[in-house]
Amino acid sequence: MATETGKPATGGKGLWIFLGILAVLNIAIGLWLEPRQVALEHPPLLQVPNFLAFLGVPGQWLPAHVTFTWLVMAVLVVLGALGTRALRPVPGPLQNVAEVVIEAFGGLLDQMIGRQGRQFLPFIGTAGLFILTSNLLGNIPGFTPPTANWNTTVALALTVFLYYNWCGIRKHGPLNYLKHFCGPVWWLAPLMFPIEFIGHLARPVSLSIRLFGNMFGEESVITLLLSLIWLVMPYLIWLGVMLPLSLFTAAVQTFIFIMLSMVYIAGAVEEGHGEEHH
Amino acid sequence: MPDEEPSVLKHLARLSTIGVTLVAATAIGLAIGYGLDRWLGTSPWLTLLFTLFGIAAGFVNLFRDVGLMGPGQK
Repeated sequence: MATETGKPATGGKGLWIFLGILAVLNIAIGLWLEPRQVALEHPPLLQVPNFLAFLGVPGQWLPAHVTFTWLVMAVLVVLGALGTRALRPVPGPLQNVAEVVIEAFGGLLDQMIGRQGRQFLPFIGTAGLFILTSNLLGNIPGFTPPTANWNTTVALALTVFLYYNWCGIRKHGPLNYLKHFCGPVWWLAPLMFPIEFIGHLARPVSLSIRLFGNMFGEESVITLLLSLIWLVMPYLIWLGVMLPLSLFTAAVQTFIFIMLSMVYIAGAVEEGHGEEHH
Repeated sequence: MPDEEPSVLKHLARLSTIGVTLVAATAIGLAIGYGLDRWLGTSPWLTLLFTLFGIAAGFVNLFRDVGLMGPGQK
């Protein structure tokens, strides 16, 4: 109660005393830990014995990004099952959140692709939720986001690549879809086809590299920051700067990934419309 | 998803591709040309040709993302 009335004075003093105690504790712990630096490098919190060795997977443990991918999958499956177990007209809390999330994805699809956008909701929603959960997982100490490994993001980007091409082929038929690659004028086709082809191949590369680079860089910076010095500062910097920043990055990178997927799908599905009218 | 203005983020999403895409298209063109040269034995020519194609593809994508040419702009 005293802090309520005399907030500036006592609150300020208390904060400084707290910080001082924290700093002294940190120095003490740091002096004790410093010769034992090896003990600080702990393995990931979730380790699964390598039961896939007969498939040629090396190592004693399964790679961390694989196990954390399974963890994210498990979280999403459990949440999905719980959210849709008993659907009611007046939604409960979990169903409410699920409806908000799905409406957000659906609104984006309406905006980007148009009337036929909702048919891509399962794919876009799954990709978005998976990436968002993976990115947010990196903020819990001891967990690394699966998206900080290039293998995961390449798998995601290749899925997007195959999916939007398949959508285009399904919509226009294989020959008409290939015609989009040849440009507007027929005698430019030998020039335009390789250019368009390479341009399309560059899409999964840029998708995967962006997501991987952001997540990996963020993880590296946090790891470096926390292992560089053992005073109270790194934790303050982590709490005050890196944690909000990485929450923001997680959301923005998810958004950019699904946004670009939607742009690609829209391009594959819609381009033919414009040409048919010509 | 965050509640920001969607159009700004949409442009951010598209514009954030151009740097990587320029490099990736060139590298993919080079890789295709190099692979074809290894396969067909036509030593420098296909590498040159497809690298040029890759550079062109990178710039076509660049101009499209910036909105100077091509269809599909909104």
